[in-house]
Order: sequence, then C-alpha cells, then structure tokens
Amino acid sequence: MMNGLEIPVYLFTGFLGSGKTTFIQELLEGSDFNAGERTLVLLFEEGEVELKPDAFASPEVFIEKLGKEDLDHNKLADLAEEYMIERVIIEYNGMWMLEDLFTSTPENWVIYQEMLFADAGTFMMYNTNMRQLTFNKMQTAELVVFNRFTEDYDRMDFHKLVRVANRRSDICYEYAPDNVYFDDIPDPLPYDMEAPIITIKDEWFAEWYRDLTENQDNYDGKKIKVKGLVARDNTLPDTYLVFGRHVMTCCVEDIQFAGLACVYSKATQFKTGDWVAVDATIKVMEEEIYGEEGPVLICSKIRKCEPADPEVATF
Amino acid sequence: MTKVKVDIFSGFLGAGKTTLIRKLIKEAYDEKLVLIENEFGEIGIDGGFLKDTGVQINEMNSGCICCTLVGDFKTALRQVIDQYKPERILIEPSGVGKLSDVIIAVQDAGIEELELNGFTTVVDAKLCKMYMANFGEFYENQIEHASSVILSHTKGLSDDKLKECVDIIRKHNDHASIVTTDWDELTGRQILETMEQKKTLSAELDRLREEAYEHEHEHHHHDHEHEHHHEHEHEHGHHHADEVFSDIGEETANKYTVEQIETALQALQDEEKCGQILRAKGIVEGTDGQWIHFDYIPGEPEVRTGEAETTGMICVIGVDIKEDAVRRLFNL
Repeated sequence: MMNGLEIPVYLFTGFLGSGKTTFIQELLEGSDFNAGERTLVLLFEEGEVELKPDAFASPEVFIEKLGKEDLDHNKLADLAEEYMIERVIIEYNGMWMLEDLFTSTPENWVIYQEMLFADAGTFMMYNTNMRQLTFNKMQTAELVVFNRFTEDYDRMDFHKLVRVANRRSDICYEYAPDNVYFDDIPDPLPYDMEAPIITIKDEWFAEWYRDLTENQDNYDGKKIKVKGLVARDNTLPDTYLVFGRHVMTCCVEDIQFAGLACVYSKATQFKTGDWVAVDATIKVMEEEIYGEEGPVLICSKIRKCEPADPEVATF
Repeated sequence: MTKVKVDIFSGFLGAGKTTLIRKLIKEAYDEKLVLIENEFGEIGIDGGFLKDTGVQINEMNSGCICCTLVGDFKTALRQVIDQYKPERILIEPSGVGKLSDVIIAVQDAGIEELELNGFTTVVDAKLCKMYMANFGEFYENQIEHASSVILSHTKGLSDDKLKECVDIIRKHNDHASIVTTDWDELTGRQILETMEQKKTLSAELDRLREEAYEHEHEHHHHDHEHEHHHEHEHEHGHHHADEVFSDIGEETANKYTVEQIETALQALQDEEKCGQILRAKGIVEGTDGQWIHFDYIPGEPEVRTGEAETTGMICVIGVDIKEDAVRRLFNL
C-alpha cells in the first residue's frame, strides 16, 4: 500500500462534448507529460470521443470506466493499489457536483491541477439553466477553457461569469487549435479606492463585501458610506451591532447573510431588520465576533433608511 | 365546468422543446393558451411572436436545479388561471429536472379547474444514447413518465441509429406514442394528434380488426348460403374473434422503397408461408423521403405515396399468422 505517499490528481471537469477526452488524449500522447509514470485514468463519463491508448507516449496508463456508485473511498484506494499508480487523471461527469468526488478520494490523493472545459456554443444556455453545476466547477477550476469560440461571442460575457465564481482562475478562449486567446481582461472595482470617502452603491455590495474580506488590508483606514441591514441580539455589547446584507452567489438556495462587526456608541437604538445607512472607517483588528482579525466598521453615523431594491445583493 | 388542460413539455436542454412548442402554437392549438417557462433556451419564445398568437407567457423565478420547483409554483398557476382564463396551459420545466416531480407539483397544487392532459418528452435522437449513459436518473425519469416522446434531429440519421434510439426509449417506456419523423415534414396538428394519442398503433389495430372482422363476417354469410353444414361452427367463430384472429402491429422508423413494399404484399398471399392474411395496412417512410401508404386485402394490394406520418406503422391481421415470416418480409 502506498499510504502516505502523495498521489497527484489531474482533474478535468465540464459537460459532455466539451473536449475533456480530446485534451486528455493529447496530454498522454506527449512525452513530457507522459514519460512513463504509472497513471490511472478514471472516466466517469462516456462521451463521443474515446481514448486511444495506442497513441500514448507511454503504455503505463490504466483506464477505468466508472459510475456514480464507484465514487467510494475504498473502491478508489483499491484501484490505486491494484495498479500501483503514481498519479491519477480524472474525467468527471458534468452532471455531478464536485463535493461527491472530493469526499470520496483517498487522503493521499492531492489535486495538482483542475481544469474546466466548456463549449462556448452551449455554455451560456447551460449556465442559465444549470447554474448550480457550472458554478460548482468554476469555483475551484484553476483554468477555464472555452473552446469552439468564435467572433460571434463576446469574451467579456464569459469572463464575467467566471469571475463571479472565481477571481483567480486563468481563462482561455480557443478559436482554433492554434488560435488561443489568454484572458487578460482586468477586473477593476466599480468604486474608486482612492476617494476620500468610498461610496458603495446598493448594486455593488456583494462585490465590495467579497473584495473586503479577501483583501482586507487594502481597506484598513478607509472611509466608507454603505447601506444594509442591522442584526442585533442580547449577547452583543451595547456599543456593537452586526451590519450586512443577504448575498446570493448562485441561486436562492445559497443566500447567506454577509455581515460585518460595527462599533457605534448608540448601537442599542437599532434592532434586527432595520435598514440603515452607515458612515464608517474600516479598521482591521482582532475582533471577538470574528474570532480572529478582520475588518470592523467604526461608525461615525448610522441612520435608518429605505431598503435596497432588490433587498438581496447579487454580483 | 370546463377544465383547463395542462400539458408538460420535458426534455434536456437543446433537445428542441421550444421549437416544438412554437410549431404547435403556430399550427395546432386553437384555444386560449398560457405558457409557463422555467427554462431559458437557445431560442427564446420572443414576445413579438407570442403577441401575434395571443399566447401569454409567464416565466418562473430561475432555472437552476435547486430551485426548479419552489413553492411559488402553485401561486404562479393560480395567477395565470385567474388573470388570463386560459383553456390550456403549457409548462416547460427545467430540462434537468424529473418529469414526475413536475406532474406531482401540478397535482399537489390542488387546483380543481386543472386537468393533466399530456406529458411530452422531447429527445434528441442523435444524443439519446450518450445522454442515457451519462445522465442517469432524471433523464430516465423524463422518458419513463412521458405519454408521448417526440424525437428531434432525426433528419439524416441512419435507420440503425434511429432504431437504437427508439429501442432505448421503448426499454424505459412501452406505452408512449413516439414521433420519429423529421418535424419539417409534419404539421403541428399531426404531432398534436400523436401526442394526444388520437392516432396510435393500438387504435389503428382495433380499427383494422373490426374491418377484417366485418369482412370475414360478410364472407361467412356468403358461405353460409352455400354451405349449410358449416353453420354451427361459423357461429362460434364469429363470437370469439380474438381466438381466431391474430395480428402484428409495429411502429417502425425504417425506410422502404415502393418495390420493397409491393414485393412484401405479394408475398403475403402465400398462405403456406405467412398464414392467412386478411388485411394489412401501413404507412412508412420511403428511402426517397416520400411516404408510402399501403393497404392490402387478399388479391388487392394497393400501394401509393402520400402524406407523412409521425412515425412509420405496419399492421397485419389474419388467421394463424406466421409472425416470423411476416416480420421478415418487412425487415421488422
């Protein structure tokens, strides 16, 4: 048993017909990737294209076609042992959530690379109707490949969709095998970080909140004007309230309250559910409510206001 | 109180649900309609088109699996009934949901005026096999619960591929009426008749059996006058038609030439090989795209070309039919 020894996993996601198998075939035909390592290929999908082992650069490749019932810790560990493999390539079923895979791989399997393939012709429609599935794959992909791209499509539309789910992934658009455009579209924030007072419009809340939590140091000491909801309970000190909004990332099922700790001398004047406009200075500090260091709003003024429309913040 | 018919159109994304609905709205439905959509397709049913037809459209919340059938479904139904007073409601649910969930949701809404009418599943004939292998439960469910299955993208598909697709569907559903013909060759009305099972194989067989029986009956009467000593036996025969007659009824997407059909009908006359064939009738697609209609009474085979049908159909009625031989004649 190769327990303890790390096994690299190369994970390929995307719907049927998105080009996963073709890519894996090319990968295994190259002698730089396939230099004789014992490689287990797990196919969780039977697409139109089949792997052709005869063309592989090395024959030490073991292909297993699996179904959903094989997403099982023991089953996968047994396969690894049986073939004494050094690494794994997984072609995942586009209709399944990634959690089902991540919770069933043996502990020593480590995702080295995750790539999402998408057919530009169907991606928009699939994304609108199967948002949960596309979003799930975009969230963790390091590289998103939009193939069969044509001049009819606007790269910006695709770029934006990916960025809502994942701010770091690389994106490329394949117009033809030898014509690939690598995404270099900058993602400017909608507000001016250098303004004396940063005003967050209602429709920017989700983006602001995400950037604040991901890059809190950029905001330390910044003055801010923002609108949201109050949440208060008896456990909070009299000078504290929690301020935030409900944020929907993917769909109604994932709506969460995105809240921040606020310090305000007259915090008890407000109760849970009040809509308020806040003037504050952001201070990154150790905070009990967070249990760690985080951005706290030190408020100079809070007044009641009309609810945002829509009340739920989206990207 | 006249009930409001509810028709559900399921099928995976890109199968052609919207195209089918458009065709039916344009060519078949003649009552006041409301369309409830829970999917956003490639070809939107655009406002302009619907304005011309007087169809109301009502889009539901959002299209992702997790929120396919949220609680406001009942409210949406109630609302469209009160607001538009439709005679028929078409529901186009998310392509990745189970058809049975939508059926249950309509039932559970408990709205008295509603009557579940048809459950149509649109299946892409080219992708059916691959989707069946990879999608699992929801895809099977859409086929299992369908009262009719309309195949799309059948144009140019080989007989073998088409048969493979029909076999997959029949494995999961043996009762749904199937449309295998390219939609361009059909009118919306023909498709609707098939969807509502007004023209099915079993109905056709019943009709033929009756005709054959009538024919035989007359025949016997005729005999009766001359062969008195057989009277008793014949009387019995008349009353137990099922024991005497047997039949073959088959839907087929196979394509034939006129010569092939003529040869087959000629061969049916051979009682030794085929049994006693009383009647045969069929409509099948020709290899040249023309549709072949045939009608056979012993000694009078009739073959002509005519209107396209939603799928090919061959019926043979007779006494002691040698089924294998007859099937072979038609490549069934």
